[in-house]
Amino acid sequence: MPLIKLDNVSKLYGFGDATTIALDEIDLVINKGEFVAVMGPSGSGKSTLMNIIGLLDRPSQGRYLLEGKSVARLRSDQAAKIRRDSIGFIFQSFNLLTRLNVIDNVSLPLIYKGYTKSKSYRLASSILDKIGIQSREYFYPSQLSGGQAQCVAIARAIVNNPKLIIADEPTGNLDSAGARLVMEILSEIHAAGNTIIFVTHNPDLTRYATRVVYMHDGNIIHDEKTAIGRVAPRAREELYTLPIQTVDDDIAGVSALIKAIPAHNSNPRSSNRTKKNQRKHRK
Amino acid sequence: MKIINDIQFKSSLDAFRLAKLRNFWTMLGVIIGVASFILIVGISEGIKLQINNQINTSEAGVLTIRPQDIQVAGSSLDSLALFSGINVSGSLTNRDISTVTNTPGIKSVAPMAAITAKVVGSGGKYNNGLVIGTSSSLLNILGQSLSYGSFLNSLSNVQNQVIVGNSASMDLFNEDVPLGQTVQINGTNFVVEGILNPFPATPLSSGAEFNKALFINYGNLESLTNNSATTYQILALTKNPKNINKIKQALTNRLLVTHGGQKDFTILSPAQNASSNNTILNLLTKLIIGVSIISLIVGGIGIMNVMLVSITERMHEIGIRKSLGATNRQILDQFLIESTTLSIIGGIIGIILAFLADLLFRMFTNIRPAISFEIVVIALLIASGIGIIFGSVPAYKAAHKDPIEALRSE
Repeated sequence: MPLIKLDNVSKLYGFGDATTIALDEIDLVINKGEFVAVMGPSGSGKSTLMNIIGLLDRPSQGRYLLEGKSVARLRSDQAAKIRRDSIGFIFQSFNLLTRLNVIDNVSLPLIYKGYTKSKSYRLASSILDKIGIQSREYFYPSQLSGGQAQCVAIARAIVNNPKLIIADEPTGNLDSAGARLVMEILSEIHAAGNTIIFVTHNPDLTRYATRVVYMHDGNIIHDEKTAIGRVAPRAREELYTLPIQTVDDDIAGVSALIKAIPAHNSNPRSSNRTKKNQRKHRK
Repeated sequence: MKIINDIQFKSSLDAFRLAKLRNFWTMLGVIIGVASFILIVGISEGIKLQINNQINTSEAGVLTIRPQDIQVAGSSLDSLALFSGINVSGSLTNRDISTVTNTPGIKSVAPMAAITAKVVGSGGKYNNGLVIGTSSSLLNILGQSLSYGSFLNSLSNVQNQVIVGNSASMDLFNEDVPLGQTVQINGTNFVVEGILNPFPATPLSSGAEFNKALFINYGNLESLTNNSATTYQILALTKNPKNINKIKQALTNRLLVTHGGQKDFTILSPAQNASSNNTILNLLTKLIIGVSIISLIVGGIGIMNVMLVSITERMHEIGIRKSLGATNRQILDQFLIESTTLSIIGGIIGIILAFLADLLFRMFTNIRPAISFEIVVIALLIASGIGIIFGSVPAYKAAHKDPIEALRSE
């Protein structure tokens, strides 16, 4: 049984004429123990996908099975409990609570689970020890470097022993040393048998992943397995051709007039469209 | 409750360190409301206590006859005049005095007529001094005593005697014992025969005025004013206080006869005096409690506003907490704890202020507020109730925020 099974999942924002398609009928299966990198340009729907997988958001349509249970239409409190027990989040901007010290931050998910203070402190402390920042237990987030802060965030994400860890650009705010530290910790966690999905813009980081998913305009356009330690072939391609610019993009940039010609827009890889435009073009 | 535990509580309290000043302004409404609530109820209870004590000790068995028909039982505004008998308009006559004196069961009678006059002593003067014409029985009826000298001798004006109130002796002569000194009342010389002990200065009684008053014989006052002085009340001490109602009835009938059947007078028994005072006090207390409750509500709205601002500022934090698996209920509790703590702290500060004010009242006025434990508890309950009621709207708003939206806001 796969850990995650997305079936025809779409996410639309807005109403009527202003509807935007963030995810366009996505099918995705992620098995236990995979270390998935999700890549793609800004606005390609990576974060929306993460939010839906992480049960922060609900799909507009489609089915989502987490461990075989349908979770696409949960009430907010049921979703909160699954987030608490089965999912760990790591954010680009660390998202530590600035008013709490490191150990309070890390024990927060346990507190919400209803653990006693001493028990959650013990657990949080052992996790911090594993990650190697136990000496910073009583520091406040403002006293930590970016790398250390993200390590605390990782500790917070795994303290509940979740089935799935979701990291949305975990290295986005870090220098290369910090990024390496964070990715090493994540791959250690993966080596211990955990499932991790992370979003990145940096093709170099795909060398930590076992699988790379490429997204564009709400679609998964490429999905490949890759060996740990090697940059994925498609990612390498992107690594040397950044920034991504297609002929279509050039044309769009040159003239809105040309863009209005239906022939150019029928290409699925043109930039963000609204439903209205889609309908117009189909006519 | 398992979900409200230390860290959640601590993080609620952490918010206070952030914005101490703003929280103070937030709490101000609750502080003022609670302080005034406690103080008003305390003052009202204290005054009632003092008045009742006074009635029990000195006024037992004393009937008060006043001109005009005053309705006491209800809360009609007429009864306001009872606060200070001197304000009562109309006058009683010498015939009334003798009627009262001749009524069986009456032990002694003291008419009280008052004028304001220019009073000149050796050490000072009153431009509008209170001069009361009365009889020798007054001392006994009021249960009052002299500090020096003797009281008025009789109703006759054998000699121009004057008894001065305790404060008046200092004001007019600059000394404690001005016995034998002369004082001019509207140009006529009077000799000081005695100095009264201070009247118990209970609130809402004429004790304070009496301390600055000069007491002369009723006859003297009549000749001083060519019989134009107003006799605003007659005090009659009954022989047996137990029969007071019977005597009151007899007195009423007799006076009705002399007044040609017209009831243009009022006879008050001590109980009625107390009840009229209590009625008015209760009314005032209710009014002011109403005002303090309004200020408590305003305080509650203040708390609600600050909490609304606070959750907007802390939306990102709410998002983080939700992503970590906090349920709506847990977020709701966090913010409810916060607003309730705010109002309870405000309530405690209010209680402290009320006690400080109580101290000031005791130091500088004759009011002795009686702040009971129950009132303090009620005030604290109201304060926490306000926190919960007015905190629930912002807390609900915070709890039901969409996690993604909350995470996005900075």
